[in-house]
Amino acid sequence: MTPAISVAGLSRRYRGQLALDDVSFDLEPGSITGLLGRNGAGKTTLMRVVAGHEFASAGTVTVLGARPVENEQVLRQMVFVREDQTYPDFRVRQVVQAASWFYPNWSHQLAGALLDEFNLPLDRKVRKLSRGMRSAVGNVIGLAARAEVTLFDEPYAGLDPVSRQLFYDRLLADYAEHPRTVLLSTHLIDEAAGLFERVLVIDRGRIVLNTAADNLRGAATSVTGPAIAVAEFTAGRPVWVRRRIASQESAVVAGAMDETDRARAAALHLHLEPLTLQQLVVHVAGTPVGSLEERTSA
Amino acid sequence: MNTWIKVARYQLADRWVVVTGPWLILALGFLIALAWATSDPPLPGHAAYSGPAAIYIYLIGTGALAIARQLPFALALGVSRRSFYAGTALLAVAVAAVYGLALTVLQLIERATGGWGPNLYFFRVPYLLDGPWYLTFLTSFVGLALMFAWGMWFGIVYRRWNLPGLLAFLAAQALAVTAVLLIIGAYGWSSAGRFFTTLTIGGLTGLLAALAVLLLAGGYATMRRVTV
Repeated sequence: MTPAISVAGLSRRYRGQLALDDVSFDLEPGSITGLLGRNGAGKTTLMRVVAGHEFASAGTVTVLGARPVENEQVLRQMVFVREDQTYPDFRVRQVVQAASWFYPNWSHQLAGALLDEFNLPLDRKVRKLSRGMRSAVGNVIGLAARAEVTLFDEPYAGLDPVSRQLFYDRLLADYAEHPRTVLLSTHLIDEAAGLFERVLVIDRGRIVLNTAADNLRGAATSVTGPAIAVAEFTAGRPVWVRRRIASQESAVVAGAMDETDRARAAALHLHLEPLTLQQLVVHVAGTPVGSLEERTSA
Repeated sequence: MNTWIKVARYQLADRWVVVTGPWLILALGFLIALAWATSDPPLPGHAAYSGPAAIYIYLIGTGALAIARQLPFALALGVSRRSFYAGTALLAVAVAAVYGLALTVLQLIERATGGWGPNLYFFRVPYLLDGPWYLTFLTSFVGLALMFAWGMWFGIVYRRWNLPGLLAFLAAQALAVTAVLLIIGAYGWSSAGRFFTTLTIGGLTGLLAALAVLLLAGGYATMRRVTV
């Protein structure tokens, strides 16, 4: 099967600064992928290159089997919702209308329902909207476009929790009926973790983790309890980090826990807790690349 | 082609920049000129308030905004740079044609009413817009399209290189004009003077059309590597 998005050896250099450094990955059609990483890690640049808004310094990007740059056929099937989108001096109604002209699968019904649910004032100028409301406008476009390849860059910056939940629910519901390839970047990782089938972590322009989300569930566990017991339990296991307060210690251990491990931990009065996706990303994206490869192989 | 028309329609959604603004400024200029001419009636054949200049100048801004303000969202909606540029150029040509026609009709009314009463020369400009109606139309059309295209190029330069680019672009144009003047100087001002005095308005319109095509080509070349 042709990957929906295929990136190979992609680099993007700005005046001596490497924004993207030899990035390679494939995304299968019909999947939701989380693109995670710190500020300035290269998430937006990566999406801009995929959308053909920015040019690669080296490497190739193909979307639906073809180069996206100036390729009308591919661009017609791609929507890019970005947090820092500059809108024309349009009213909300005009923005949504204009978007509907360019997408063959546009759903007026879905757009109408979303505008209503997000409480968006149709006659207000987009530039007069709050940050959250502007994000909501982007979400309406991104979802109603029903584009084969949907790129969301921080789609809910400034959005209230109710609206965020609405976005997740609507995305999943519409995705189930109209499967497409979604690449979504966010900092609210745990909140969105349930959406992701795949996770890409980018740090300093490099992909540091690219794996199915299932592989990450239980990929690491935090072990908390008396320092002596923790030391005994973790002996011989790869430990990512240890934190000690008085006689209590907390260690993050790589690898899954089986029944024997759990029983042993219980006997030692240790508390086991699997790391959430967000905690994993903090570990993965917060450390030098070299040590990471040891970890993912561990 | 279909996408081009959609882009033109997208541009037209901003009525103020494309439609309301230029005609409002023209109407204001006209009313002021009319009030002036009424209070102080000019001598026959000696009164020209070159009114339509306002709409030409306004269209530079329209062209610039049509690119600078509308481009990022259009690209987000999967419009290619090529289609966006072609659609905007299509709008420029359509706007120039319709507005040129309107200016021609207004000129005809001006002639028929004896200068709106007080012998006002507003839509008639000696030499430039003073011939038969079809020449007035042609010159207006080409002139308006030229201004729009010029503005578009400004907009693209601004999108690509911001303010420093804009200043460099202006400097380059000033340099080009200076170069042309120097060349004319080298050939002798008298031969240049002969060229311009024998140049008919039809010939001038042809020159302006060539310049408009040049500007559109330059804009497209700048557009191809623009990023948002």
